[in-house]
Amino acid sequence: MGFADHYPALIVVVLFAAAFLSPLIYRWAEKAAAPVVIAALMLALFMSSSLMITVQQSGPVFYHMGGWPPPWGIEFKVDPMRAFILLIMIGVSLWIFIYAVRDLEHELKKEVIGWYYTLYALLVGSMAGIALTNDLFNLFVLMEICAISACAIISIKEDRECLEASFKYLILSAMGTGCFLLGVAMLYMATGYLNYGLLQLELAETLTLYPRNIFAAAALFIAAFGTKAALFPLHVWLPDAHASAPSPSSAMLSGLVIKIYAFALFLIFYQVFPRELLDLIPLNEIILWLASLGVMFGSVYAMLQTDLKKMLAYSSIGQIGYIFMGIGFDHNLALVGGFYHIMVHAVTKALLFMTAGTIIYATGVRQIKDLAGIGRALPLTMLAFTIGSASMIGIPGTGGLISKWYLALSALEIGRPFFVLIILASSLLNAIYYMPIVISAFMHQEDFQFETKPVPRFMLTTMVVGMVFIVLSGFFSRPVVSMLEQAANYFF
Amino acid sequence: MEDQIVRITSRLVTPFIQVYGIYVILHGHLSPGGGFSGGAIFGASLVLVALSFNLEAGVKQISHQTASILESGGALGYLLTGMAAIIIGGNYLANRSAGFPLGQAGELFSGGAILIITVFVGIKVASTIVTLFYNIIEGEE
Amino acid sequence: MEILSSIARNYYYMVAIILFVIGTFIMLTHANMIKKVIAMNIMDASVFLLFVAIGYAYGGEAPIIREGSDVVYVNPLPGALILTGIVVAVSVTAYALSLIVKIYRYYGTCDYDEICEIRSQE
Repeated sequence: MGFADHYPALIVVVLFAAAFLSPLIYRWAEKAAAPVVIAALMLALFMSSSLMITVQQSGPVFYHMGGWPPPWGIEFKVDPMRAFILLIMIGVSLWIFIYAVRDLEHELKKEVIGWYYTLYALLVGSMAGIALTNDLFNLFVLMEICAISACAIISIKEDRECLEASFKYLILSAMGTGCFLLGVAMLYMATGYLNYGLLQLELAETLTLYPRNIFAAAALFIAAFGTKAALFPLHVWLPDAHASAPSPSSAMLSGLVIKIYAFALFLIFYQVFPRELLDLIPLNEIILWLASLGVMFGSVYAMLQTDLKKMLAYSSIGQIGYIFMGIGFDHNLALVGGFYHIMVHAVTKALLFMTAGTIIYATGVRQIKDLAGIGRALPLTMLAFTIGSASMIGIPGTGGLISKWYLALSALEIGRPFFVLIILASSLLNAIYYMPIVISAFMHQEDFQFETKPVPRFMLTTMVVGMVFIVLSGFFSRPVVSMLEQAANYFF
Repeated sequence: MEDQIVRITSRLVTPFIQVYGIYVILHGHLSPGGGFSGGAIFGASLVLVALSFNLEAGVKQISHQTASILESGGALGYLLTGMAAIIIGGNYLANRSAGFPLGQAGELFSGGAILIITVFVGIKVASTIVTLFYNIIEGEE
Repeated sequence: MEILSSIARNYYYMVAIILFVIGTFIMLTHANMIKKVIAMNIMDASVFLLFVAIGYAYGGEAPIIREGSDVVYVNPLPGALILTGIVVAVSVTAYALSLIVKIYRYYGTCDYDEICEIRSQE
């Protein structure tokens, strides 16, 4: 039947079908709900890897929904960068889901676990759609599905803090969506198209006719995606939301959701807006300086925290700053660094949140000062935390070094060594708040004060897989980096 | 609310509301309206029954299990219509290029896949409104 | 005089932008949570108004095909986009309102500043 041609649409369809099937299956056969979602995620992973192989060999693939070509229909596009992000999204989601199957029974009420699987599958499906879509209004709809599912997997815990944090996230996210929709209206008013490819051709001429529409659209897009991806001054929802959520939700949100919005911003600024716009207003400078401030302030705020998950959430604000720096440098090595950091940080931050979740599951401890001596009680968990922290700091041998290396290299190439100083200073600040936890966990005099429950094998296995991936991405980075270099040259 | 006048009036009016809702759903491709608005009208009639009588009468009309099945079924029906287009031959959610019977423009059974999708969307929206109402009312106990 | 004539011609766009700014301002500054949700609806409605106003063609009629060779129709695409947008806005409003119901049950107030006070003292 030639199914392989339809893979771009089928990835999203399979995930949404699993989302809608899971409440029905959970009502009648509780044990079968999780395997259905795992099967759907594995099928989506198989389809996205086959898409990756196809676009590496034969170039970008376009898929027209309903057979209607643009501008009448919606178009999905797969090129190497999008296939890379798609693989990261689905692979890391599958990995976090295997951890979540065991951890959720302890955190949520029993009757809502079926709904959690629905929200999870909707979230992964909408993120896959955002990575694939080539149409601005389809991007709006998928962004809204992603926003509601992301808020809902926080508030499903029905705690005092997570309800208020989820409301704050929802209101700020809705403001971002309103700004985004106004930006789309500005672009539609000037050109009459909603497709990325047709917009790129039109905007090159329209920039001289209607410059103010395009400036307004660019500003509104930075505000919208900055709010949703936690760029520096618009990050205020992130600490409460990621700290009070259940641990698999925190891993998913910090690891994947904020990055897909950074990727959507990258696609719009590099594939829709013309290069001449950068001569008129220095958009990349704005993003670069905001990202640098975010990198420094994220680490400064994280140093002051006493709660483990809140410290990890503030650290996320710093790390997303690296990705925006990669977008803002406007150089192909910076794109390599930024996108490699998407992959490494997704795995690392998810691993760190999984570690925090395991610690809470086994001991109930959330404060950092109570973690002294835990290394002897939960050795494998704290080894995972150590390797995750090493990757955050950028110690050689882990994947975190490769991305910072390429960012610093591109800063020198464009002749701005100040940003190398910022990258080094922020790595030092990262060490200041990660290393004390590791040191006091393993080398504290007394034994751990609280009692520990045994950790299930599922959760330990996922943490071991994460550790192995971080170490492998530090040593064997050449294939991924060369693929990213080839994909980045396409934009310059 | 247990008022006699409200009960008699809603008992008289509910069938008309439901017929109007089904009319808006089925004529989605011919006149303004379609799945969303028609489904909202139909769902509103079921909520009216639950409000003017008490909650048990409303649950007897459409129980929790039925609402849940219809909700998931509507969405799955939409996805399966798109899959049917792939199996017949075109792209996902294709209409004319996949060979759905199109008919004369302006007739009721025209437009191919549009009518099928509209009906599924109407079912889903109606059952979602009912489910939301049940969750908010019963959550207060 | 040119300013007045250009205001009279672009009346809908100006009203849409003014409503957008009003909605954003209320959503960010007023404390009552239900006002924030209402302001979100105002903001979304203003963008839908802008979309519909973009689609209008002077002297055009409703986009349902009738006999006649050179009939000017209004652009139907913004209408379809807005239908989707309205449904999205309704879903977000429904979710936000049910969150407010639950928050009221836990904190006893609908005022966001008071909730921040309560949270900062815990």
